[in-house]
Formats: sequence, C-alpha cells, structure tokens
Amino acid sequence: MTETKPITYAWAINHAIDEEMQRDPTVFLIGQDVGRMGGVFGLTRGLFDKYGAERVRDVSIVEHLVVGGAVGAAIGGMRPIAEVQFADFLLLAGDESFHKMAKWRYMHGGRLTVPMVVRAPCGIQGGVGAEHSQSPEAHYWHTPGVKIAVPSNPADAKGLLKSAIRDDNPVIYFENRRLYRNKGVVDPDPELLVPFGQGTVAREGTDVTIVAWSAMVPAALEAAEILEREQVSVEVVDPRTLVPFDMETVAASVRKTSRLLVLHEASLTAGPGAEIAARAADELFELLDAPVKRLAGTDNPIPQNMALEPFCYPQTDEIVSTVRDLAKW
Amino acid sequence: MTAVSSDTRVTDERGMLLRLYREIARGRALEDVVHQLVQERSFRGFFHPGRGQEGVQAAVCAALERDDYLLYAHRGLTYLTAKGMDPVEILGDFHGRVVGSTRGLGAGTVHCVDPELGIMGQGGTLGSSFTLSAGLAMASKSLGQTKVACAFFGDGASARGTFLEAGVTAKAWGLPVVWVCENNGWAVSARVQDVQGTSDIAPRARALGFHTQVVDGQDALAVYEAAREAVTQARNGVPAFIEAKTQRIDGHYTGDMQPYRDRDEVAAAKARDPLDLAGARLTELGEDPAALAQIREEARAEMTAADAAARQSPFPDGSRIHEGLWA
Repeated sequence: MTETKPITYAWAINHAIDEEMQRDPTVFLIGQDVGRMGGVFGLTRGLFDKYGAERVRDVSIVEHLVVGGAVGAAIGGMRPIAEVQFADFLLLAGDESFHKMAKWRYMHGGRLTVPMVVRAPCGIQGGVGAEHSQSPEAHYWHTPGVKIAVPSNPADAKGLLKSAIRDDNPVIYFENRRLYRNKGVVDPDPELLVPFGQGTVAREGTDVTIVAWSAMVPAALEAAEILEREQVSVEVVDPRTLVPFDMETVAASVRKTSRLLVLHEASLTAGPGAEIAARAADELFELLDAPVKRLAGTDNPIPQNMALEPFCYPQTDEIVSTVRDLAKW
Repeated sequence: MTAVSSDTRVTDERGMLLRLYREIARGRALEDVVHQLVQERSFRGFFHPGRGQEGVQAAVCAALERDDYLLYAHRGLTYLTAKGMDPVEILGDFHGRVVGSTRGLGAGTVHCVDPELGIMGQGGTLGSSFTLSAGLAMASKSLGQTKVACAFFGDGASARGTFLEAGVTAKAWGLPVVWVCENNGWAVSARVQDVQGTSDIAPRARALGFHTQVVDGQDALAVYEAAREAVTQARNGVPAFIEAKTQRIDGHYTGDMQPYRDRDEVAAAKARDPLDLAGARLTELGEDPAALAQIREEARAEMTAADAAARQSPFPDGSRIHEGLWA
C-alpha cells in the first residue's frame, strides 16, 4: 500500500461509515443532525448528499426512538448506525440500550439478531458540563450482550468501526471528542479491519505496564516519554475493545514488567478500571511485584467550567508521578 | 404488493365470524391451560390473563398477512395463536422446556418468538413496542418489502414517552405501523380516567397525524373491519392507530382478586364476553349452537394435547444460560 497522508480521527470515522454504506445497502445512519448538517462535530459530512435522506436519517430529539428504532430495524434485517450526540444522551435511552439492544436476542432464545452500532461521543472537553462529558463505558460493560469499542487513534477508529458495523451483535462505539483532531496514517484498504478483542502494545517497555484506552493512550505515551528520561521504561497496552477484553495482552505485558497501572477517564469508583484491577489481582497475582494501581477521573460530576476540567481526569504529571512510585516497588 | 381490497367491509359475515370465533376459543382454551399451570405451580412467574380481550387480538391478527410483523403485548395469548404460532412452543415456554420457542430459556407471554411468522418478541418493560415497531417498519420500507409492523399495547403503556417519540417519527417518514391500543380502562389497579385525565387514547394518535379509528373491542367483526382499514392505510405509508374499547374480565395477573374494582363493573365486563357475543351473532345468522360447542371442544382438546406434548419435552441443562447471548 502506498504512503498516504495522515487523516484525523474524525475523518477516519467518516471514511469507515462511508465505505460500509457503499459496501452494504442495509447500513444506514440515524441521529440528530447527522444528515443535512453533517453531524454536530462534522463527522458525517457529505454522507447525506451521497446517500440521501432514507439512509442518513435526521430525527427530532428522540433518543428512545434513535436506539429503539435501531433495534427494530436491526431485527428487521438492517444494520443501523445510531448516533447519540453525546455518550451521556445514551442514558436517556436506558430501556432501549440496556434492555432492548443488549437483551433482545438472548431473551428470545438467540433466535433474533441485533446487528447495530451506537456511536457515542464521550469525554471531557469544551466546558460542556456534567451531562455532556461522561465516559459511561462501565455502565455497559456491566450489561451482558453489548460489545464495546474504545479507539485511541485514527487507524483503530476506522478499523474498529468497520468491524462494529459488520458485527452481528450490538456494539457501543465510544469516540472521544478530545481525539477528533488527532491525526494518523490510516491504510486506505477498505477491507482492513481491526478485530475486536485484540489489544495492542502502543509502546514497549520493561518496568511498568499502563493499561489505557481512548484519550488516555496519548496521555500515557506522553508520560512514558518523560519517564524514559528518568530511566523508567513504560509499556502501554491499549485493549482497543473492552468487550471482548484482551486479558492475554495485559498478562503478557505484566509478565515482563510485574507492575500494573490501570488508567481511564471515567470516574474512579466502580469504574472500568475496577474490573481490570480485580482480574489482574485474581489472575496475575503471582506475576505482580506491586499493588495494582488505578488512576482515573475524579468522583464528581464534571463542572461546566473549562478551567476546572483538567482537575477531573488524569493529567500527564499525575501519570508520571504514579508510575514513578509504582516503579519503586 | 399484497392485495388488499379497498372495501374493508366483510361480505361473508358468517364465515369470518366463525373464523374469529374459533381463534377466540383457541386463545381462551390455551389461557385456561396456563391458569392450571399457575395453580399447580408448574409455571412460576407472572401471567396476565387476556380474558375479555381475545376478540381484539384474534381480529387484528386475522387482518395481517403471514409475514407482517407482530409485537404483541403482555395480556393474554390470543395474538400468538391467531398469528399462527404453535401452542406446543408457547406452552413449552411456560414450562421452561426445550420445545419452547425460546428453546428452553422460558417465557410467560413475553419473549415468545417466531421470526418465520413475523412474531418478533416482546419485552418485559412496556412501551418499547412503539420504537421497535417503528424500526421494523423502517426496515420493511428500506428493504422494499410490504410488511406492516403491528404493535399491541394497553391504555397504560400509551402514556409512555416512547409513544410520542416513535409516533412523530412514524408520521414524518410515513412508516407502515399499525398500533392497536387495547383500552380496557385499567392500568393494573388504576383507572385510566384517574391517571391520564381521560378515558380516550385515540385523540393523542390523531394529534400526531395517524389514521385513527375507535372501535368496540367486544365486537370482533367490527375490529376486523377496522384492522383491514388500518393495514391498508399503513401499507400505503399512513401510520394507523386503532383504539379498541375492551374489557378486562380477570385481574391484572392470575390470582389478583381485584379488590380495587367494583363487582358490578366486573359483572358488566363478563356480560360483554367477546366469545359469547360472537356466538350469539352466529346463532342469529343460523349457526347451530351445537357446532359452536364443537368448536370450543376442539379448542380445548387441541390445547390439552399441546400441553401434554410440551410436558414430553426435556428441561434444558444449566449450560443453556450460556448459549445465545452472542450471534
């Protein structure tokens, strides 16, 4: 494949949708402002003109309908991509997401399939407050029947979304708004998919393992650069999907480093890191030389004040100092 | 395109009424078996009897094509048998046996499923059928099919916010949905008038732009005619709504003695039993009461045999809980 120009995380998402809509006429988009406007963050630009109103469906403020309608369309033979403008809004469709999307297949004996994707823009950015900033992946990790993708870079954003669209199961695709403008080289091969359940080592190291996903991966990599100057070698594992979760890649890394930090943006208590830390304590106990540490968002609603936002999720200096302490064990 | 006559009046009243009579009798006989299962405790769970409402369910399903979608409600079983579902599978679900439609996971009205017949299931939280039926109708339209998506619900569920969200969207996109409100006047123990400030549900559908009809739910033939009209409208891209004023003869669940309800009112509901009313009209039309008794007896025999067949089926292994979560 020839060298290509780097594209943004946002544009990688656009390309994934466009390619899959081109490939499969049952794929369609539904959500507020996804059509004529091209999405509130511009991610679906061009698709309305290319595919028309039947396949890029603008709706009113109807989250129940966006998710529940997608479930209905999915069991009826379509492959909907439902967009909620903010991941927080997915909770408005609680019954539709936790009950209908996640359980419809199972409750009916496995005789129906629900091939759909919910795109959920998450993350703290822009002073938009407590109901527009959350990363509710733990809510859905606690719900059997839903796959969860948490891409951290443009190539994974594209490859995971394409896999999600082709998956016969419901997938929640958390796209972090702080990553939208990050650029990376993305192979234009339309058949290049990123499989679910296969984590990746974003940086190799020998002293401490950081498990991080989504916007915490660039932060972990930045911290690792700083720590390298102090002779602390950090390995960064990006699971890329939480369901299924690739514990093997985490285990392989801890086998090398014997120290584990779980890093995420969602608030700490009963957050996704609790699951990973518990599994590490249970399954990797013999490999560990130090307690498993968690560094995560603070346990408070996000204030609608940009100046306070950096205090709400792990910053590079905190990651550095936490790893530094962990390396002393 | 499914052929639908523009004239929805029934020409062979006696023939159609006989068909509906048989379906009402079958649904009722099946329900009688389920009451027994509850009593003998072979079914543990909630069962919400549909006695009194079978005419609505039988008649609407008679107006649907085999592959039209059905999202049934939680009260009664007649929509399932009238849409063609095998009673052995339904009872298998009640018994929690592998012959059940959920293949051993169990179900009690809700969760019975038959994709071949367009029976796309039901959830345990009410009001989700509005959005799901809109989605099924979207799929039908997008795939160039002529299927309508029919959703049943009660007066209680019609108050859910999903009604509005799915309703405005169905209207905006001309989705082929047929929404059937079985208005029995009671949301568990609450009178509709007391909790919704009205006894009439149809005006809210009319306000959304649905083709709307109000019909006597105890008159199965009238419901059938309304359903034919509604299905025709929906196939032509006009979302359709039927409010069937009906009667809940039994309690909210089997065993609910209805202390909150006036005895005279229950007696009045019983006096308008749809099976009796259909039988009386058929007798007027010259049908031999003995023939009607024969139909009821056949229904009982069918459901008794179905129960025996379901009981022959094994229970699932505990490992069944791990199957079917993922496609």
